[in-house]
Amino acid sequence: MSKLGRCRATGGEQTDIDMVPVMNMFLVLIPFLLMSVSFFHIKAINTSVPVLSQSQDGGDKPISEKVTAIVEIEPQGFHVSAISDSVAYEELVKWDARVAREEQAEYPMDQLVAQLTKLKLRYPASDTLIIIPDGTVVYDTIIQAMDVARYYNNDSLFPNVVLSGKVG
Amino acid sequence: MALGKMKKHAKHFVPPKLQITSMMDMFTIILIFLLFSFSNKPETMSLHKDMKLPKSTANLDYKENINLVLSQTTLELGGKVIGTVKDGRIIGLDPKNLKTSTLYERLRSTRESTDKLQGDSNTKQHVLFLCDKRLPFRTINCVVKAAAMAGYPNFQFGVLKK
Repeated sequence: MSKLGRCRATGGEQTDIDMVPVMNMFLVLIPFLLMSVSFFHIKAINTSVPVLSQSQDGGDKPISEKVTAIVEIEPQGFHVSAISDSVAYEELVKWDARVAREEQAEYPMDQLVAQLTKLKLRYPASDTLIIIPDGTVVYDTIIQAMDVARYYNNDSLFPNVVLSGKVG
Repeated sequence: MALGKMKKHAKHFVPPKLQITSMMDMFTIILIFLLFSFSNKPETMSLHKDMKLPKSTANLDYKENINLVLSQTTLELGGKVIGTVKDGRIIGLDPKNLKTSTLYERLRSTRESTDKLQGDSNTKQHVLFLCDKRLPFRTINCVVKAAAMAGYPNFQFGVLKK
C-alpha cells in the first residue's frame, strides 16, 4: 500500500489552517500600501524655450530637407507655417494655412493635425515644432495642441516642442 | 434542585469559530489593487486643492527636478511660495524686468551652485513646471522666460495622464 493510500485509509482529521497570522500581515501591509499609493499619475511633456546659441557649422554634409513647423495659437484659430534653411522660401509659403475656430467653440485640433500631417509627409525628417500662443490662450489649449502635434495615432509628428512668446 | 436540573440540561459551551474566509478574500483583493497602484515615486509635492492640471496623452515620467508650481493664486519654487497671482499677473514679476524678480534670483543661485558642484555648465537640467490649466499664456510666459534667463531653458510640463 502506498503512503498516500495508507493516509487515506486512516481517515486523518481535517485541520483548519490558522489564518490569523496571515490576517495580521495583511493588516500591516494594507495601511503601508495605502500610504504609498498614488491615485493620480503625473506625467511630463518635455519642452523648451528659445535661447541664444552659437550657430553650428554643418560643413559639407548633405542637408536633408527639413522644416520647422510653426503653430500660432490665436483667439480666432491656428496659423500654421513653416521655416527652413534647406527649403526655398517660395516652397515654404505654400504651407501657410489658417485653421479658423468658431466663436466660443473649441479649437479644431483635428484640422491642425491634418495640416501638420501633410507637412510631415512632405518633409519626413522634420521633428521640431514651435508653438506661439497668444497671451489670452489658456494653458490647457497649449497642452492639447502639443499633444496632437507631438504624436498622432502613435505616429510621431513633431516630438520636439518649443514654446515661445510672440515677439513684437 | 432547580440548579442541578439546569446543570444537567446545559450543553457544553462550544466557542464559536470566526469565519474569516470572506474577509481574507476581501483583503486579498484590496492588497492586489494596492500593489498594482503602488508607486515607488510618490507625489510628494504639495498641490493646491483648487489647482487643476491639464490632461494629456504623454507617457513620460518626470525626473527629479526643480519644482515650479503656478496656481491661480500663488507661485511656488521648491515648495516655498515666492509670489502671488492676482488677476492673471504675478506680483513681483515684472515682465519688462524679469531679472529683478525673486524667481530669477533663486533659480540663478541654484544654477550657480549646481554648476560649481558638477563642474559642467552644459548639464541639461529640467524644471518640472506644474501649472493650472485655466491660466492664460501671458502669465505663464513671464515664469517660463525668467526660468530660461536664469539658466533653465528646458522644462517638463507636468500633466495628468488621460
